[in-house]
Amino acid sequence: MDINMEELDFSKVVSEDLIELELQATTKIEAIEELTNLLFVNGCISDEEGFIKDVMYREGEGVTGLEKGVAIPHGKSDYVLKTSIAVGRTQEYLEWESMDGNPINIIILFAVKNADSTTTHIKLIQRVAVLLSDERVVEQFQTLQTKKSFLHLLSQNH
Amino acid sequence: MNIVGISACTSGIAHTYIAKEKLIKAGHEFGHKVRIETQGTIGVEDELTKEEIAAADLVIIAADIKVGGKERFKGKKIVEIPTNIAIKAPKQLYKKIEAELNAKQ
Repeated sequence: MDINMEELDFSKVVSEDLIELELQATTKIEAIEELTNLLFVNGCISDEEGFIKDVMYREGEGVTGLEKGVAIPHGKSDYVLKTSIAVGRTQEYLEWESMDGNPINIIILFAVKNADSTTTHIKLIQRVAVLLSDERVVEQFQTLQTKKSFLHLLSQNH
Repeated sequence: MNIVGISACTSGIAHTYIAKEKLIKAGHEFGHKVRIETQGTIGVEDELTKEEIAAADLVIIAADIKVGGKERFKGKKIVEIPTNIAIKAPKQLYKKIEAELNAKQ
Protein backbone atom coordinates (compact mmCIF):
# COMPACT_ATOMS: atom_id res chain seq x y z
CA MET A 1 0.00 0.00 0.00
CA ASP A 2 2.72 2.43 0.99
CA ILE A 3 4.67 1.61 -2.11
CA ASN A 4 1.71 2.37 -4.35
CA MET A 5 1.20 5.69 -2.67
CA GLU A 6 4.80 6.63 -3.25
CA GLU A 7 4.63 5.68 -6.89
CA LEU A 8 1.59 7.87 -7.27
CA ASP A 9 3.42 10.74 -5.66
CA PHE A 10 6.32 10.28 -7.96
CA SER A 11 4.25 11.00 -11.03
CA LYS A 12 3.92 14.53 -9.70
CA VAL A 13 7.54 15.35 -10.47
CA VAL A 14 8.34 13.29 -13.56
CA SER A 15 6.32 11.81 -16.41
CA GLU A 16 6.96 10.42 -19.87
CA ASP A 17 6.21 13.89 -21.24
CA LEU A 18 9.30 15.14 -19.43
CA ILE A 19 11.59 12.50 -20.91
CA GLU A 20 13.30 12.89 -24.28
CA LEU A 21 15.61 10.09 -25.34
CA GLU A 22 16.67 11.71 -28.59
CA LEU A 23 18.01 15.11 -27.69
CA GLN A 24 19.66 16.81 -30.64
CA ALA A 25 22.10 18.77 -28.48
CA THR A 26 25.81 18.57 -29.13
CA THR A 27 26.83 20.90 -26.29
CA LYS A 28 25.98 21.21 -22.62
CA ILE A 29 24.07 24.47 -23.03
CA GLU A 30 22.06 23.05 -25.93
CA ALA A 31 21.06 20.07 -23.82
CA ILE A 32 19.98 22.32 -20.97
CA GLU A 33 18.03 24.47 -23.46
CA GLU A 34 16.21 21.48 -24.94
CA LEU A 35 15.24 20.09 -21.55
CA THR A 36 14.22 23.56 -20.39
CA ASN A 37 11.92 23.79 -23.40
CA LEU A 38 10.40 20.46 -22.40
CA LEU A 39 9.74 21.85 -18.92
CA PHE A 40 8.25 24.99 -20.46
CA VAL A 41 5.82 23.29 -22.84
CA ASN A 42 4.68 21.07 -20.01
CA GLY A 43 3.89 24.04 -17.82
CA CYS A 44 6.60 23.42 -15.21
CA ILE A 45 8.39 26.74 -15.66
CA SER A 46 7.22 30.23 -16.61
CA ASP A 47 10.27 31.55 -18.45
CA GLU A 48 12.92 29.61 -20.34
CA GLU A 49 15.61 32.27 -20.43
CA GLY A 50 15.27 33.07 -16.74
CA PHE A 51 15.35 29.44 -15.73
CA ILE A 52 18.40 28.68 -17.86
CA LYS A 53 20.17 31.59 -16.20
CA ASP A 54 19.51 30.06 -12.78
CA VAL A 55 20.65 26.61 -13.92
CA MET A 56 23.84 28.05 -15.38
CA TYR A 57 24.45 29.96 -12.17
CA ARG A 58 24.42 26.65 -10.31
CA GLU A 59 26.68 25.13 -12.96
CA GLY A 60 29.18 27.86 -12.14
CA GLU A 61 29.25 26.81 -8.51
CA GLY A 62 30.35 23.24 -8.98
CA VAL A 63 30.42 20.04 -10.95
CA THR A 64 27.04 18.47 -11.78
CA GLY A 65 28.35 15.60 -13.89
CA LEU A 66 28.35 12.42 -11.82
CA GLU A 67 29.76 9.18 -13.16
CA LYS A 68 29.25 6.99 -16.21
CA GLY A 69 27.73 9.67 -18.41
CA VAL A 70 25.02 10.92 -16.07
CA ALA A 71 24.69 14.57 -15.06
CA ILE A 72 22.27 16.31 -12.70
CA PRO A 73 22.12 20.02 -13.47
CA HIS A 74 19.60 21.80 -11.28
CA GLY A 75 17.95 25.13 -10.91
CA LYS A 76 16.24 26.44 -7.81
CA SER A 77 14.43 29.28 -9.44
CA ASP A 78 11.61 31.80 -9.21
CA TYR A 79 10.63 30.73 -12.73
CA VAL A 80 9.71 27.23 -11.63
CA LEU A 81 5.96 26.83 -11.33
CA LYS A 82 6.01 23.17 -10.41
CA THR A 83 8.96 21.28 -8.98
CA SER A 84 9.83 18.70 -11.65
CA ILE A 85 12.48 16.54 -13.25
CA ALA A 86 13.22 16.48 -16.98
CA VAL A 87 15.31 13.65 -18.36
CA GLY A 88 17.18 13.58 -21.64
CA ARG A 89 19.63 11.47 -23.55
CA THR A 90 21.82 12.87 -26.29
CA GLN A 91 23.01 11.05 -29.39
CA GLU A 92 26.55 12.20 -28.85
CA TYR A 93 28.51 12.47 -25.63
CA LEU A 94 28.77 16.04 -24.39
CA GLU A 95 31.71 17.83 -22.89
CA TRP A 96 30.62 18.30 -19.29
CA GLU A 97 32.71 18.46 -16.12
CA SER A 98 32.07 15.24 -14.18
CA MET A 99 33.19 13.34 -11.10
CA ASP A 100 34.88 10.61 -13.11
CA GLY A 101 36.08 12.86 -15.93
CA ASN A 102 33.88 11.13 -18.51
CA PRO A 103 31.63 12.98 -20.96
CA ILE A 104 27.86 13.05 -20.48
CA ASN A 105 24.94 11.67 -22.48
CA ILE A 106 22.19 11.37 -19.87
CA ILE A 107 20.96 14.56 -18.29
CA ILE A 108 18.58 14.67 -15.37
CA LEU A 109 17.53 18.28 -14.94
CA PHE A 110 15.94 19.19 -11.61
CA ALA A 111 13.68 22.23 -11.60
CA VAL A 112 12.93 23.27 -8.04
CA LYS A 113 10.57 26.01 -7.02
CA ASN A 114 12.43 28.67 -5.09
CA ALA A 115 9.99 28.73 -2.22
CA ASP A 116 8.52 25.28 -2.26
CA SER A 117 6.34 25.14 0.79
CA THR A 118 5.33 21.60 -0.02
CA THR A 119 8.38 19.63 0.92
CA THR A 120 6.92 16.47 -0.59
CA HIS A 121 8.16 17.44 -4.04
CA ILE A 122 11.64 18.17 -2.81
CA LYS A 123 11.58 14.88 -0.94
CA LEU A 124 10.95 13.12 -4.24
CA ILE A 125 13.81 14.97 -5.86
CA GLN A 126 15.96 13.94 -2.92
CA ARG A 127 15.00 10.36 -3.51
CA VAL A 128 16.25 10.55 -7.06
CA ALA A 129 19.50 12.03 -5.77
CA VAL A 130 19.83 9.15 -3.32
CA LEU A 131 19.11 6.71 -6.13
CA LEU A 132 21.93 8.27 -8.12
CA SER A 133 24.37 7.72 -5.27
CA ASP A 134 24.24 4.05 -6.22
CA GLU A 135 26.76 3.33 -8.98
CA ARG A 136 24.78 0.29 -10.13
CA VAL A 137 21.72 2.43 -10.74
CA VAL A 138 23.76 5.00 -12.62
CA GLU A 139 25.17 2.21 -14.76
CA GLN A 140 21.68 0.93 -15.52
CA PHE A 141 20.69 4.25 -17.07
CA GLN A 142 23.00 3.51 -19.97
CA THR A 143 21.17 0.29 -20.77
CA LEU A 144 17.62 1.65 -20.88
CA GLN A 145 15.79 1.97 -24.19
CA THR A 146 12.34 3.34 -23.43
CA LYS A 147 10.81 6.28 -21.59
CA LYS A 148 8.86 3.83 -19.52
CA SER A 149 12.00 2.09 -18.33
CA PHE A 150 13.55 5.44 -17.38
CA LEU A 151 10.45 6.31 -15.44
CA HIS A 152 10.49 2.94 -13.76
CA LEU A 153 14.12 3.22 -12.71
CA LEU A 154 13.68 6.76 -11.42
CA SER A 155 10.66 5.85 -9.35
CA GLN A 156 12.00 2.63 -7.92
CA ASN A 157 12.28 2.45 -4.19
CA HIS A 158 15.79 2.56 -2.99
CA MET B 1 34.82 4.07 14.49
CA ASN B 2 31.76 6.04 15.40
CA ILE B 3 31.49 8.81 12.86
CA VAL B 4 29.02 11.67 12.73
CA GLY B 5 28.86 14.40 10.15
CA ILE B 6 27.04 17.01 8.18
CA SER B 7 26.51 17.35 4.46
CA ALA B 8 25.45 20.56 2.75
CA CYS B 9 25.82 21.91 -0.78
CA THR B 10 25.12 25.24 -2.41
CA SER B 11 21.57 24.65 -3.56
CA GLY B 12 20.75 21.95 -1.04
CA ILE B 13 18.92 19.83 -3.56
CA ALA B 14 21.07 17.01 -4.82
CA HIS B 15 24.73 16.88 -3.79
CA THR B 16 23.89 17.12 -0.09
CA TYR B 17 21.99 13.85 -0.27
CA ILE B 18 24.30 12.03 -2.63
CA ALA B 19 27.25 12.90 -0.38
CA LYS B 20 25.36 11.59 2.64
CA GLU B 21 24.59 8.25 1.01
CA LYS B 22 28.13 7.80 -0.25
CA LEU B 23 29.65 8.57 3.14
CA ILE B 24 27.35 6.11 4.89
CA LYS B 25 27.78 3.32 2.34
CA ALA B 26 31.54 3.56 2.08
CA GLY B 27 31.79 3.96 5.86
CA HIS B 28 29.94 0.73 6.42
CA GLU B 29 32.32 -1.05 4.07
CA PHE B 30 35.15 0.01 6.34
CA GLY B 31 33.24 -1.10 9.41
CA HIS B 32 32.39 2.38 10.66
CA LYS B 33 29.10 3.48 12.11
CA VAL B 34 28.20 6.65 10.22
CA ARG B 35 25.43 9.16 10.93
CA ILE B 36 25.08 12.17 8.67
CA GLU B 37 22.89 15.20 9.23
CA THR B 38 21.77 16.98 6.07
CA GLN B 39 21.39 20.73 5.86
CA GLY B 40 19.50 21.20 2.62
CA THR B 41 17.01 23.49 1.00
CA ILE B 42 14.22 22.11 3.17
CA GLY B 43 16.24 22.54 6.33
CA VAL B 44 17.97 20.16 8.71
CA GLU B 45 17.11 16.47 8.53
CA ASP B 46 18.42 13.55 10.52
CA GLU B 47 19.71 15.99 13.09
CA LEU B 48 22.54 14.57 15.17
CA THR B 49 21.75 14.02 18.82
CA LYS B 50 23.97 15.11 21.68
CA GLU B 51 24.55 11.47 22.54
CA GLU B 52 25.62 10.61 19.01
CA ILE B 53 28.05 13.49 18.94
CA ALA B 54 29.41 12.62 22.37
CA ALA B 55 30.02 9.03 21.26
CA ALA B 56 31.67 10.01 17.98
CA ASP B 57 35.36 9.38 17.36
CA LEU B 58 35.38 11.60 14.32
CA VAL B 59 33.34 14.29 12.61
CA ILE B 60 33.15 14.60 8.83
CA ILE B 61 31.79 17.82 7.40
CA ALA B 62 31.15 17.48 3.66
CA ALA B 63 30.05 20.94 2.67
CA ASP B 64 30.37 23.63 0.01
CA ILE B 65 28.79 26.25 2.23
CA LYS B 66 29.01 27.28 5.87
CA VAL B 67 27.21 24.72 7.98
CA GLY B 68 25.20 25.47 11.07
CA GLY B 69 25.95 24.19 14.55
CA LYS B 70 29.63 23.44 14.22
CA GLU B 71 30.13 24.42 17.86
CA ARG B 72 28.47 21.13 18.75
CA PHE B 73 31.70 19.38 17.75
CA LYS B 74 34.00 21.32 20.05
CA GLY B 75 36.96 19.21 21.07
CA LYS B 76 36.30 16.57 18.40
CA LYS B 77 38.54 15.67 15.52
CA ILE B 78 36.92 17.22 12.46
CA VAL B 79 37.60 16.42 8.80
CA GLU B 80 36.28 19.08 6.45
CA ILE B 81 35.89 18.39 2.75
CA PRO B 82 33.82 19.65 -0.18
CA THR B 83 30.84 17.45 -1.14
CA ASN B 84 32.66 16.46 -4.35
CA ILE B 85 35.22 14.45 -2.41
CA ALA B 86 32.49 12.52 -0.63
CA ILE B 87 30.72 11.84 -3.92
CA LYS B 88 33.75 11.14 -6.06
CA ALA B 89 36.00 9.19 -3.76
CA PRO B 90 34.39 8.19 -0.45
CA LYS B 91 36.52 5.08 -0.03
CA GLN B 92 39.75 6.93 -0.60
CA LEU B 93 38.56 9.48 1.93
CA TYR B 94 38.19 6.82 4.62
CA LYS B 95 41.53 5.29 3.72
CA LYS B 96 43.19 8.65 4.04
CA ILE B 97 41.51 9.35 7.35
CA GLU B 98 42.63 5.99 8.72
CA ALA B 99 46.16 6.48 7.48
CA GLU B 100 46.33 9.88 9.15
CA LEU B 101 44.92 8.61 12.42
CA ASN B 102 47.33 5.68 12.44
CA ALA B 103 50.28 7.93 11.72
CA LYS B 104 49.47 10.03 14.77
CA GLN B 105 49.27 7.12 17.18
